Order: sequence, then structure tokens, then C-alpha cells
Amino acid sequence: MKKSRGQWILSVPSLAWLLALFLIPCLLVFAVSFRPSGPYGGIGEGWTLETWRSLTNPSYPAIIWRTLWLSAATTVLCIAFGLPVAYAMARMSPAWRNRMLLLIILPFWTNFLIRIFAWRTLLHPDGLIKQVLVQLGLADPNAQLLYNSWAILLVLVYSYLPFSILPLYAAAEKFDFNLLDAARDLGASRLRAFFSVFVPGVSAGLLTTFLIVFIPVLGSYAIPDIVGGPSSEMIGNKIAQRVFNDRNLPHASALSAVLALIVLTPLLAGLVLRRWRGNATGGGRAA
Amino acid sequence: MKKILISILAGSVLAGLAGCGGNKDLPVLNVYNWDDYMAPEVFDLFEEQYGCRVILDTFDSNEAMYAKLKAGASGYDVIFPSSYQAYIMNEEGMLHPIDHAAMPNLVNVDASYLQQTAIDKAMAYSVPYMSGSTGIAYRESAVEGFVPSWSVYQREDLRGRMTLLDDMREVLGAALKSLGYSLNTTDKEEIAKAANLVIQWKRNIATFENEGYKQGIASREFYVVQGYSGDVMQVIDQNEDEDIVYVLPQEGFSVWVDDMVIPADSDNIELAEQFINFMHDPEIARLNMEYNYYVCPNTAAYAVVDEELKADETIFIPEELQARGEMIRPIGDDLQTYVEAWDRVKAAP
Repeated sequence: MKKSRGQWILSVPSLAWLLALFLIPCLLVFAVSFRPSGPYGGIGEGWTLETWRSLTNPSYPAIIWRTLWLSAATTVLCIAFGLPVAYAMARMSPAWRNRMLLLIILPFWTNFLIRIFAWRTLLHPDGLIKQVLVQLGLADPNAQLLYNSWAILLVLVYSYLPFSILPLYAAAEKFDFNLLDAARDLGASRLRAFFSVFVPGVSAGLLTTFLIVFIPVLGSYAIPDIVGGPSSEMIGNKIAQRVFNDRNLPHASALSAVLALIVLTPLLAGLVLRRWRGNATGGGRAA
Repeated sequence: MKKILISILAGSVLAGLAGCGGNKDLPVLNVYNWDDYMAPEVFDLFEEQYGCRVILDTFDSNEAMYAKLKAGASGYDVIFPSSYQAYIMNEEGMLHPIDHAAMPNLVNVDASYLQQTAIDKAMAYSVPYMSGSTGIAYRESAVEGFVPSWSVYQREDLRGRMTLLDDMREVLGAALKSLGYSLNTTDKEEIAKAANLVIQWKRNIATFENEGYKQGIASREFYVVQGYSGDVMQVIDQNEDEDIVYVLPQEGFSVWVDDMVIPADSDNIELAEQFINFMHDPEIARLNMEYNYYVCPNTAAYAVVDEELKADETIFIPEELQARGEMIRPIGDDLQTYVEAWDRVKAAP
């Protein structure tokens, strides 16, 4: 646990960076949420709890709940789709692994916003996907594929899937696949071996995936703005509305603070879990 | 969102081009305007005549522009806010007064507009640039039995194929007009009734859209959209699509005016004054109107503008229809009632 002086000096620049550009601005945002708002969008004098009290307004729990379930569902689906891919890639020859990695990174060559707008074309009411679904009898001709929470979920999973595959693959690559053969020798079914041996074996990757999918999705703004409908706002959209339309900075700050608290919770949970796991498997080695 | 990014890109590209091409010693005029709002040749004419360079930066909402200025953005010489926003900027001491002696073309400004509609009637801190209306555009071939009324948003057969603007004053304003109230009302009960009506409309619309509706109606994704007059006419013109029709709803509609103002911290007030004056040269105003399909309140320009444009009642709104239009005005602290009503609309199932 003891750090040498050299280590301390090395971490000073990054600590100073975080302090000046992250922690202090965060505290300022918290502070502004306790100030009254001026008539023309300024920040008023004095202090008030009014903004925080107004967060009990019934519209917020609905938005917070929608943000949470969309983020959780995105994370679960990304892991569900990412795990088999990571498993398959880890068993491929190195040449194929590299080709697959390239394919997974390929979407990033196109701008994020352009890819979201492409979904609007794909899901157009006269578009190909809709026509196929109607032909197959899976969708009503008047059904709307866009502008609802399901469209948001679809595009969120699409956007974040590469971020789940990469850490899962990194973990699966280190996994000793002989363990699966051992499990099979001892009578476990394929499925049982996958879930009881492989999945726990890549748990570090699962935790990373959870952190790098769940937390950014919580703050989504562009995706619900572009493919979401009149009843699918997320917290990010509300914050943007408060800043750009209502010009109510204290209110935007309070919402940002709520978002920060929601983000901190899984982060802390992740840290605690990691430490607990480190203690359990690492034989008391300090994390 | 898309518009913001595109504006930033376009702004920086334009700034970059102007920076490379022009002579470095020429004075520079920094203009902050809405996108696609000024005929490109007007810039060239001004640069030639006054021996300067014009650099254009764009914004897509009054609030975003104001937020940027409040956050410390400076260096602009002419800005184009809507009248209600210009009023707020003046209240906040952000504007330089208008010197009428330096702008002889101001005599061309439509006196009846100033008298009846304008917020800044004396042009003390702003000069009007263009006015337009907010109405409904629809696809004639896709909507049977269309009636020019806001009640179209109650039609369940069009569910999912209509949009409203993502703008609380415009949308609640449309509902207020439908109910026969003023769209500047501060009566809590009237605003609550309007919000209830919008909640009914909301069940039938695909989404609240400020920019995407243009592409949406062009690609037949949407059949009915709430939009700005000139924007819709630019879509019709660019796509040569006569199936799209713009109407002014019979219950009433909002009219608005974008003004030209000089920020107090401008470094080049003389050139800014020349620029504003130039915009009210009848020939220049004509070029702009024929480009953007809005109306420059300039009596001398009315005489020279294209006859076809002048005959279009959705552009040059005849007097008997003008009474149905109402301008969105600043309402100070009462805005909070609208914010709360709008929150209720957004949260409603």
C-alpha cells in the first residue's frame, strides 16, 4: 500500500488535471444547483433548495426510470451478444482473430452521428426493413419502427456492442480453454460448462463491459434525440432542454448532479466488487 | 443536434475559406446568423463595395446563440436574433444603439410593420431583417380531406406520420390559438388547457422536430409537419416537389421577425452599420427574399420583388389574414408557467 515518493510525483500531473478540470467543475455544478435562476437565464443571488425540491415533480421519476431501464437493458443485451462473439474469436486462429477485430472496429471509421442517421433511413416507414416485416406478417402496415423507446434501445445496442465485445474478447483471450474440456470430462453439458466455467473465467471483462457501456449510455443525448419519439426522453435530453431552451442553469445543474450520482453508484459498486474479487482470488494481495 | 454540428462544421469551413482567400489587410466583419438565410451573392456584393471580408458563423436557435454569448463568446459585429430575443439582449445591456443617421436606407423599412407588429418600434436597438410565419405543411397526395386547421393533429389515421416543432412557445402557442386564446397569454388556466390539448396531439405525432421535419416531409416519412414558412418553401423548391403544400391554419398562427443587432462589444461598429444599411437596399432585400422565401419588411423592396412571390398569400400574407397571425413576445417571469406546462406535455404518456 505504501507508495514511494517517485510514484507520488509521477501522479501529480494527472491528479492536478483531474482536480482542476473534473473535480472542481463538478463541485461548481453542484453549487449552482443551489442558486436561484435569473429571469433571463442568469444565475441569481443567494441560495435556495427550491430547485432540488422541484425534482420531485412527477415528470422526473418517469425520465429517470426510463434512463435507467434503457441503460440496464442495453448493458445486458450488449453482454448477451458480446459473450458468444468473444468466445468464438478467442478460439479462432490468430489470422482470423485479427480480421474479426478489424471488422469490429470498422464501424468507427464512419462518424457516430452519421451511423445514427443511417438508422432513420433503415427504419423509414417505407423502408426495406419495414416492408420485409410487413411481408412476413411480423408488423402491421401502420406500425412505427422509429420514434419510440424500442428504437432507442436498438440503436444503443448497435452503437455500444463493439465496446462490449472488445473487453470481453480481451478477457476470453487469456482464458484457458482446457478448463472447458476438463468440465466436459467431468460430465458438464456444453451449456453448463459455458456458464459455470467460461463466464466466471471472463468476469473481469464483464465488469469492464458493464462500466464502459452502462455509464456512457446513462448520459445518452444524441441517440434519443434523433431516433426517440415524443415520449422517450432521457436525462441527457432534459439537461439539454434546460440549458438551451429554458435557460435555467440551476435546474440543468441539479439534473447533472443527479446523473453524476447515478453514475457514481455503479462505479463505486464496480470498485468494491473488484476489490472483493481481488481479495478472494489474489490471496490477500493488495489491490 | 445535427444542425448544431453541421453549423459548426460549415462555420469553420467558411471561416477557413474566407481566412485563406481574402487579403489579410482588409477589415473583417463577423456575422452571426441562421443557416441558409442570406443569398450568397449578397456577401460578395458587400465585400466588393466596402472593401472588406465577411465571415459568417451560424446558429440554429435563439437560445443556443444567447447561451453561447452569455458563456463569453465575443467578436461578432452583426447578430440576427428573433425580436423577443433581441429585446432580452437589449434588457441585458448587450447591444449597441442603432444610429439612424448612419443608415439612410432605414427610411425604406415598412412603417406599418413597425407600428403594428414590432417590439422595438423606434428601431432603437434593432433593425428588422426578415419575417415569416409558423404554419402547417402537408403532402397533398397522402392526406385525404385536409382542412387547414390545427385540429389535423387530432386525426388518428395520420398517427405516427406527423410532427410538431420541439419549441414550447410555438407548440403551446398553436394550441392556445386553437382554443381561441392569445399565444402570449399569461393566464395559468388557459395555458393548462392548451397543454391538455397538446397532450392529445402528442399521441398522434411521430416526434417533436425542429430540423428533421424538412427531410422527413421530403422523403414521405411524414405527411403533416409544423414548420417555418420559408423553410418549407425552400424544401419544395429544392426538391421540385409540388405535392407539399404550406398553409396558415384558420384558428391562427404565429408570425415572427428576425432582427439585426450590433453587440456592444463589436470592434467594427461602422462596418456593421454599413452592413445593416446594405440589407435594406431594395435590390439587396429583393435578392434575399427571392433566395429564402421570407419577407423583408422593406416597402421599397416590395415594389421590385418577383410578382409570383408577391402573389403567394403564404409569403406576403394579405391584410385580412394578418389579423389571425400573432407575434411571440417576451413574457419575462411568466415563461415559467410555459416551462411547467411543456414539462407536463413531455412527461405525459
